Amino acid sequence: MDLATFGAILSYAMDLEQRAADFYAAGAKVLLEDLFGDLERGSKKRFARMERTRREGVAEMILEPITGLNGEDYRIALSADVDIPVLLEQAIALEETAQRFYQDAAEKIPIREVVRIFQRMAEENTKRKDRLETLALGD
Amino acid sequence: MEPKVLKNYIDGEWIESQSDELLNVRNPATNEVIAQVPMSTTDEVDEAVQAACVAYQDWRETTPFARARYMFRLKNFMEERFEELSQIIVQEHGKIIDEARGEVRRGIENIEVAAGVPSLMLGYNMEDVSQGIDEDCVYQPAGVFCCVAPFNFPNMVPLWFLPYAVACGNTYIVKPSEQCPMSQNMLFEILDEIDFPPGVVNLVNGDKRAVDALLEHPDMVGVSFVGSTPVGKYLYAKAAQHGKRAQVQAGAKNCLVVMPDSVLNQTIPSIMTSSFGTSGQRCLSGSLVVAVGEVYEPLKEKILEAASQIKVGYGLDETVQMGPVVSKKSLDRILGYIEKGLEEGATLSLDGRGVTVENYPDGNFLGPTIFSDVTPEMTIAQDEIFGPVLGIIPVDSFDEAMDVIHRSPFGNAASLFTTSGKWAREFKYRVQVGNIGINIGIAAPIASFPFSGMKDSFFGDLHGQGRDAIQFFTERKVVISRWF
Repeated sequence: MDLATFGAILSYAMDLEQRAADFYAAGAKVLLEDLFGDLERGSKKRFARMERTRREGVAEMILEPITGLNGEDYRIALSADVDIPVLLEQAIALEETAQRFYQDAAEKIPIREVVRIFQRMAEENTKRKDRLETLALGD
Repeated sequence: MEPKVLKNYIDGEWIESQSDELLNVRNPATNEVIAQVPMSTTDEVDEAVQAACVAYQDWRETTPFARARYMFRLKNFMEERFEELSQIIVQEHGKIIDEARGEVRRGIENIEVAAGVPSLMLGYNMEDVSQGIDEDCVYQPAGVFCCVAPFNFPNMVPLWFLPYAVACGNTYIVKPSEQCPMSQNMLFEILDEIDFPPGVVNLVNGDKRAVDALLEHPDMVGVSFVGSTPVGKYLYAKAAQHGKRAQVQAGAKNCLVVMPDSVLNQTIPSIMTSSFGTSGQRCLSGSLVVAVGEVYEPLKEKILEAASQIKVGYGLDETVQMGPVVSKKSLDRILGYIEKGLEEGATLSLDGRGVTVENYPDGNFLGPTIFSDVTPEMTIAQDEIFGPVLGIIPVDSFDEAMDVIHRSPFGNAASLFTTSGKWAREFKYRVQVGNIGINIGIAAPIASFPFSGMKDSFFGDLHGQGRDAIQFFTERKVVISRWF
């Protein structure tokens, strides 16, 4: 799926955050309640941020075609119905993929304010991944 | 299912029109009838003006702070229904969802600016203009105003005017485009919900008869119009004949001048969005690229390459980059211009006529169409086509490019693409258009600035948006006083 418009990128980001929130919610029910519950709340907040950005970040005078971003490159299979180590692996992969998506998308969008928001999203993904890795190493 | 018949909103009530004349509103991507709009009678226009007149008496005495609070509520309600407001634009107009979101956003920005009315309406004074004499200038509302809106920005354009008019203490009537009336219908659902006093804001659907009735009404103070130049000229003359103030934004033929020193990779996306965004149906669309000197060939090649990749389709699909044109009638008119271009000897370098969109066989689709080797005398270089048709004119110099712009009777917008400050300054200084872009393809003024225009693109003196709007919707009363 070509992400060739501002709206397509933001809608993709919203979908990514919704899937993350659902995954962490399901994971929190299985075992890792504190961490996954926290990440779920974070994903919901990030979803709202993306929705707000789609609403407020659009600037007609630079609504230019976007090339070179494909949603298929950031697809990731998620299932909470697995053992804890696999759950953690998936969560880490999810954060890595999302971080890569926001970083790549930030380079494509011609609106500086939105670029800053995407960079912030990517930075948060790195921190979230670090938390997960710390837990994985501890285990 | 029978399509919904739209109602008028008069004196705080949704009212069925008594007119039995209904026009079909069609989705341009499918040509399905999605609503029907009544052609209201002159009596219904009179009811709306009378309701606005009565409401004006109390509304003008409402404090500017209280009026501003209505603006805050309007903004908040629009934010809540942002996606719905955007989607209805796509359904009735055909533009893509990103463009519709951009339209709603600009409308909201105007409300945000108008919410500053407690500051914007401040007057000024001077003591001792003569011995012991003081002079004050106060801004007062003027009465009942109306807006005659176009199809191409069915949500936003009335918001260039209505928030300022109402925030200043006037009362208002919107006559939406009969082609795209649903956006205003939804906006008035919101205005109803935020509970303006009855008669402060009113909606009357209709055609030329409703417009004439508004302009001829003795209690109407002024009109704001956006549309074509022939209709604009008619309306401006009619307004003057009946002693109304008027601000009339009309047609355009906008040039994008590309200098040899421009950064082509950044220029091309700007040209694409300017020329093919909203399927070329913006009054700020760049419909002519004027290529200066040796940039012509490489520029043409890159434009053709980029335009041929634009995905055409139904605007609610977010992968789509260009939607249909508004109606079959528009499509036929644009196709006529393409034939005319061929007859007059332009080279059809990209032909959008054969475009097909899967699952939408009945839509008014036309792909990006590009003529090269266009000369300034050709009809396609002079007339406003209002569709996704771009002409490329080669010229030898900057001065020749300026001549191409100034041959046009229009003066709405023009852009220059360059890395030279000297050329940019020269362009800004000399060009006779109202909205100027420097390395910007769509020179759309934000809400704090006037949406400008000159020559046959604007009739009047005060424009929509920002401080101009505050001036338009107020009287300046001067008080000279001496006390003994």
